Amino acid sequence: MTTLALAQGARWKQALTNPIVLASVIAILLVVIGQLVSPGFGSYGQIINLLRVASFLGIIAIGQTIVILAGGEGIDLSVGKVATFAAIIGSRVMDGHDANLALGLLVPLAVAAAIGLVNGLGIVYLRIPPFVMTLGMLGVVQGLILAYTGGVAAGRAAPALTALVNGRLALSIPGVLFVWLLLAIAISLLLHRTRFGWNLYAVGTNRVAAELSGISVNRTVISAYVTSAVFAGLGGMLLLGYTESVFLDLADQYMLPSVAAVVIGGTLISGGIGGYAGSAIGAIVLTVLESLLTTLDIPNASRTIVNGVVLLLLLALYGRQRRLRS
Amino acid sequence: MSGMLDRIRDVRVGALATWALLVIAVVLNAILQPTFFSLYSITSNFATFVPLVLVAIAQAIVVVGGGLDLSLGAIVALSSVVAVTVMGGEDGRVGLGFAVAIAVGAVCGLVNGLVVAVVRLQPLIVTFATASIFSGSALVVMPKPGGTVPPVMTGIYRTAVAGVPVSVLAVLVAVCLWLVLRQTRLMRHVYAVGGDPGAAYASLVPVTRTRTLTYVIAGAFSGLAAMALLANSGSGDPFVGADIALNSIAAVVVGGVALRGGRGGAVGAVVGAIVLAMAANIVFFFDVPTTYRQLVNGLVIIGALALSVLSSARRAAR
Amino acid sequence: MSGVTKHYGGVRALDGASLSLEAGEVHGLLGPNGSGKSTLNKVLAGTVAADRAEITLDGRPLAIHSPRDAHRHGIAAVYQQLSLIPDLTVAQNLTLGVEPARAGFLRARVSAPDVAETLRQFAPALGDRVTASTPVADLPPGEQQIVEIAKAVMRRPRILILDEATASLHRDQVSLVFDVVRRLCAAGVSVAFVSHRIDEVMQLCTRATILRSGRTVASTELAGTSEQELVSLMIGQTRAPEAAAAPRAEKGEPRLTVTGLSGQNLNNVSLRAHRGEVLGLGGLQGQGQSELLLTIFGALRAREGSITTSSGRGARIRHPRDAARIGIALVPGDRATQGMFAQRSIQENISIVSLARRLMAGVAISARRERAAAASMIDRLSIKIGRLTDPVSSLSGGNQQKVIIAKWLLNEPGIVLLDDPTKGVDVGAKAEIYALIRKLTRNGAAVIFNSSDDRELAEIADRVLVMYEGSVKGELDAEDVTYDNLVSSALLIGMGDQHRVGGDESGTA
Repeated sequence: MTTLALAQGARWKQALTNPIVLASVIAILLVVIGQLVSPGFGSYGQIINLLRVASFLGIIAIGQTIVILAGGEGIDLSVGKVATFAAIIGSRVMDGHDANLALGLLVPLAVAAAIGLVNGLGIVYLRIPPFVMTLGMLGVVQGLILAYTGGVAAGRAAPALTALVNGRLALSIPGVLFVWLLLAIAISLLLHRTRFGWNLYAVGTNRVAAELSGISVNRTVISAYVTSAVFAGLGGMLLLGYTESVFLDLADQYMLPSVAAVVIGGTLISGGIGGYAGSAIGAIVLTVLESLLTTLDIPNASRTIVNGVVLLLLLALYGRQRRLRS
Repeated sequence: MSGMLDRIRDVRVGALATWALLVIAVVLNAILQPTFFSLYSITSNFATFVPLVLVAIAQAIVVVGGGLDLSLGAIVALSSVVAVTVMGGEDGRVGLGFAVAIAVGAVCGLVNGLVVAVVRLQPLIVTFATASIFSGSALVVMPKPGGTVPPVMTGIYRTAVAGVPVSVLAVLVAVCLWLVLRQTRLMRHVYAVGGDPGAAYASLVPVTRTRTLTYVIAGAFSGLAAMALLANSGSGDPFVGADIALNSIAAVVVGGVALRGGRGGAVGAVVGAIVLAMAANIVFFFDVPTTYRQLVNGLVIIGALALSVLSSARRAAR
Repeated sequence: MSGVTKHYGGVRALDGASLSLEAGEVHGLLGPNGSGKSTLNKVLAGTVAADRAEITLDGRPLAIHSPRDAHRHGIAAVYQQLSLIPDLTVAQNLTLGVEPARAGFLRARVSAPDVAETLRQFAPALGDRVTASTPVADLPPGEQQIVEIAKAVMRRPRILILDEATASLHRDQVSLVFDVVRRLCAAGVSVAFVSHRIDEVMQLCTRATILRSGRTVASTELAGTSEQELVSLMIGQTRAPEAAAAPRAEKGEPRLTVTGLSGQNLNNVSLRAHRGEVLGLGGLQGQGQSELLLTIFGALRAREGSITTSSGRGARIRHPRDAARIGIALVPGDRATQGMFAQRSIQENISIVSLARRLMAGVAISARRERAAAASMIDRLSIKIGRLTDPVSSLSGGNQQKVIIAKWLLNEPGIVLLDDPTKGVDVGAKAEIYALIRKLTRNGAAVIFNSSDDRELAEIADRVLVMYEGSVKGELDAEDVTYDNLVSSALLIGMGDQHRVGGDESGTA
């Protein structure tokens, strides 16, 4: 083989092992399988619906991506509960009136930011490992939810919010997808075109070198956790717009899938490498998989098994750690 | 003589804070619940502790080796439903039930171990995925709660032997098992692999095999926990153990085991588990209004976590 | 060993290299960075899988696929990177991986005499309070290295590889290790010895093999060879680093004044660094030189003391960010862990410190401006790269170091702190770095230079502060800055304070 052919072959291989490409291919594959098994699965309307369901996971995964990118075994286990809490506060404040919309958006996000700040402070200044800190906060937020609601879910989303999320803006695409797209673009710009983003990658790659390069590691890490909580809150609010009323465990289930989405998208759990595009596609893959399994009428038990197996397979494709022997 | 002293020193929990927390928890419990030290109360308290304690030991072994296992709860569920089904309520089959539970746990652990150590994937996500697989399997074996546990199991579990409640004995036996394990070459290697896998590899420690075995042993202990759960509840339930994995991690951290590996031990994890279980009790007896109970519980847990981490960090910085 | 070949991606680390060891000899492995000497002995030790290798031991062919294979054939290796577990004790580390056991249970009693004997053998190099049950994490790096060496010796190897094993040792410890090595050789053990300190190689080895670009270029008896000949064999041409050629720059006013600085491993240090001057830090390794630089830079907290810059105002430096803002730069001592972001691109590594200077509207990064800035540095420092988007880990050691220097130059610093900048850098890049330092001082910067290489210090420093146990104990100025003076001052300056009799002084004049 000529060197040119070898080089081209190498580039194909590199393209195929690019997690974003891989994940996209898998997503498309799953849709095709769905269409074959159950015609209509791959129809325009269905796909739009799938994307809408994926958007909430996708938005919550924004914060998770940032926290994991920051390195230091960063992870945010509290995102699910924070999203739920934000939705609950929002629904109470808005109570179904458009007049309270602004407040109903600001208050939950402020509370979410405060929770993220506590996470960040505990992780940075008390040096509590992120897994432990966010695990503990998860319990605290759950307690806050119970204390705040007294065990009763009440309140409704403002109609404007519901209209934004569910309303068809163009090409019968619901508003939330535009919001997701805008957020995705904003986050990518933040990561690749601002000092915060470049600092984040540096901190995630090598904390000591980052410190010695004049970057304030503490500030960067704390900001990461605040951002994560804010986006979790945002996801919760949009979810509220979708469901219009709230349940006490509305977004709890998004926690571990948000981590899975980030990993599927090619961001390293150790930090420093990756980005949001992959996480977004990871969210789509997970949603399509879940939907496909439901369509195939697979009983709940087997669905859980298949979910687990597929996740393992995806990880095995490109999540492998380095060998100890070179 | 010095050798034995050294070995006793090795068993030290590591974080003084953990023992302090235990003392505080016991004292508070005793104050709030005057009957705390009665046989009845200790029996029923420990009866519910035992599963978490066993899973905490399991988690400690994996964490010391540098890993993490989120699927332990699912393994408990799967082991318990298989055991219940196999035993079919017959007293004569209790021994078989134990064997099956441990075997199922070990096999699940082997799956975890192979994927983490041989295929080399991140433990956090892997065990999250296998948890799905195991709990799904539990649902396949037993779609709805049901089945009966052999009466001799539930009977013995609530009694006392020579004045010591069986559940307390169970905890003591588990701790002894750990102490025995600690004297093995395998456990020394587990500490090495957790402390610095590269250094361990260069020192001819069989890293892959060691890592895999930590998950297998953890699975086996989870199988034991399943039996304890069955003895306590009296029937099978595929949904059991949902929070036990995360709780075991909290127990392990409160007990002074470093999440990054290489430091700490199962004794600390056991103490941590008991502290956490008692904390829930205390909140109950402080007559905190129901709606605030979980919040206080959460704050207590975070406080305990912070305290443990801070004190072990200070030790490390010396 | 012959025909040893190893590729890492597109880079050829070894290209048919060969090595032959005789029983009872100490054999040096020499070569510039990137020559493959480390890779070669890692193949022998089983930690690297060669693409091709023919290895014979006593005439019989061997296949080595893992450290376990190597161990079985009696090969043990010691590297500068330790294979010790910090939380385990000395004894536990010494027996790690080969613990005697029955039915899986440890039998410490079986290995105890061996451990005791080994500790006795190495006792002079270890601190007074070191016992078998001391946790390794409590030992300083030099003593940890000794434990690492002891661990290898305890396995009774037939072939012992020492790869930069003496890098973090004091002179006393080095001579003890040499004694142990000589004793091993007398018993028939073959030792392969790699060190960048040529004088150590000359002192200890009988023969040496020289590698260049992955090939064996020569194998020679050392008795009749001079250091110059060895160096020329390694570089491939007779060219000595040209640092000494340029005339010493004029000393201007002080750019940095440090008064009474105390902190981690630092004791009341005062100094002045002048415009156009290269101020060297001398003394034995590990006497606080790195800590001094890190503390000035704000990376380590100062307990007491003050720092003033040429503006006259006292500087409050509590974080490297503050230091960078007033024009101080630090190139740290450990490239891999402190200086660079290995998996990130060369572009990011060069840009990261000075991003604020090129932001659009104070917020946005312009790819065009960043590329231009990086290109200017690559040009100025002659950094050999593939593309700007390649990870910086793809560069050679010397070029990586240049990238780290480049990232700080973009910040236009007036005070440049260099911590062992040419460690692990090949001869050609070294010369370029010296020339760069000269140019910096000619343009008025003040440079503080810490080096583990006394010859380098002698060539490049205008003035040297000799440090011992965290304080400045002496000063050498202008013509007094010679290799001999540096070596002798480093040893003598602490003589009064030393509580242990040193080994024989083996300074080669």
